[in-house]
Amino acid sequence: MAWVSERLAVAMRQAEDLILRDYIVSAASQINAGSGSNGDNPTNLGIGDFSLVATTLDTNNAYKFMSGILGENRFGSGPVRSSYFMLTSTELQSDFDALQGSGFLNQWNYPNNTSALPSEYGNIYNIRILTSSEAPVARGASAKGADVYYNTVLGKQAITHINQDGYSMNLIYRDPYYSGMLAQNATLAVKFAQAQALTQDTAIRNLLSTRATALGV
Amino acid sequence: MAEYSRIAKGHFTNDATTVGPQIVNLPFQPDRVEFVNYTLANTNATSQNIISGYWDVSMGQGITVVQGYNATPTLIYDVIPVNGISTFAAGQLLQYGPLINLGTTAGDGIAKTSGTVLTVTVQTPNAIFPGDWIIFQNLYETATTGMQQLAGIPFQVQAAGWSTSSTQTIFQIAWLGNASNLTAITSAADASVAGTLGFKKILYPTLYEPAVAYPYTITVTAGVGTVTTTAPHNFKVGQEIAFRIPSVYGAQNLNSLPDILIPGSPQYFYVSSVVSSTQFTFANAPALSSAFVVNATFTSFPGLSFAQVIAVGDVNTGGDLYSGGNLYPSPQITTALSASSTINGPGILGAYINNTSQGFIMGTGAGRVLTDGSMVGATSNVVYWSAYLSDLAVN
Repeated sequence: MAWVSERLAVAMRQAEDLILRDYIVSAASQINAGSGSNGDNPTNLGIGDFSLVATTLDTNNAYKFMSGILGENRFGSGPVRSSYFMLTSTELQSDFDALQGSGFLNQWNYPNNTSALPSEYGNIYNIRILTSSEAPVARGASAKGADVYYNTVLGKQAITHINQDGYSMNLIYRDPYYSGMLAQNATLAVKFAQAQALTQDTAIRNLLSTRATALGV
Repeated sequence: MAEYSRIAKGHFTNDATTVGPQIVNLPFQPDRVEFVNYTLANTNATSQNIISGYWDVSMGQGITVVQGYNATPTLIYDVIPVNGISTFAAGQLLQYGPLINLGTTAGDGIAKTSGTVLTVTVQTPNAIFPGDWIIFQNLYETATTGMQQLAGIPFQVQAAGWSTSSTQTIFQIAWLGNASNLTAITSAADASVAGTLGFKKILYPTLYEPAVAYPYTITVTAGVGTVTTTAPHNFKVGQEIAFRIPSVYGAQNLNSLPDILIPGSPQYFYVSSVVSSTQFTFANAPALSSAFVVNATFTSFPGLSFAQVIAVGDVNTGGDLYSGGNLYPSPQITTALSASSTINGPGILGAYINNTSQGFIMGTGAGRVLTDGSMVGATSNVVYWSAYLSDLAVN
């Protein structure tokens, strides 16, 4: 029972995240990547796409999430600009690796990574990249039939989600005595109520892209 | 034994212009469905009329037992082997059907019909119906001409111009069909993309609404802006909206930022009327700084962003006024040609709706004997259905 309830709690938190993710995919406006070289629409991610999106958010007076990291005298490291976050798919990590030397700085090459998040993959210009296997992908949806990734770049004031008081999460357990007349089965469930909103639509963009590298299986 | 059972019932009336598959959204995926066509049951016995039917998940998806009239006409049992009743789960992200190739015979392709219409002709019957949403892919006429500028934009198949259900090879979409940078797609399309040139159906296009909509015309007259979108926008009167128009399309002064009047303050508009599911007007529209024209060049398509209009605020005076009927009416969404209820509880007008769905589909398949019969009946038929999910499925 313990592992079931533990798994159920994880599933519920994932459900919260996915609802917010899907809302962003649906409601936030889009910029198609165009700096890549694969000739698709959108293209794969190029350095210029990061610059364009960060410039757009800067012009819209979005707040950055993270302050910059000063350079230190450590081999292979480089300073990191103050940054927005980009939420993207783990499937694009090989594309980011291909941009090493062209502007991509691996998280391990930050002067220090005390501010790096566990899911943080690296940084390009004013964007720090967080990857997740749950990031949104529209399979086979590009102009040439390739997978389209919704890379959400956002400022601090872009989104929120609201839980009702005392109703953010309920993990419910009722022992068999209360779950059926014959006391044969227990009840284990979760329930929650949340609302999500774009608090400032100008501070968020979905940077749509395809992929340059082949996908591992 | 009834702890986890689900039972639902309802009815639908076939669309006035065409009869396509009927998608019934439910809070569960049934394992048994029954239906009766009330209109045809209340009509004199007529050959090929299918009156009622039954589906059980153990029969298999898409297979349905029906009762209808044969040529005599006598009421008989028959089986619909494909495109009968099936269940579905729309999932969380957009899903697309298989690529439907335009074909290579004379007449296949996309014709520049008029300033508001493109006509798509497909070689093989394709089960695309008015109200369906599609995206195009690989629209090369030559290596440097074609309609690839449209690829990726969701379009709704229009009722007008649709060929009969027996052929299903011609349909129309709304776009600036006479745009000079579009080159008609013909059967002589670029051989290098043969087999990949075509479109995909968006299986469940309105998972979350109101979503980003894609305008193809924006005009302003006497302070009133009129916007026509390629697919239903699902906006409400009083809804607050914002534009994202790349410079290639003109009308830059509609964009929410940069705002030349109050720098840093996003410029929003309010929907003043909903003319149709794909057209609305907005108030206090400024004269356009330049005409809005969707006429990007073909070679610009890699990385081409589309003009977009998005909802940024709901109607904060509440939901629909109560006008009888269901005491807690659920929000309406236009997925096909007309609005229909979701399974949600009551909501604020124009507010975001989670419409991820599941349920069952009544297809348009014909029977083995009743080869010209249709399970969903004909135009304006009223069909009653019941759907069940059983606690105990013995086998």
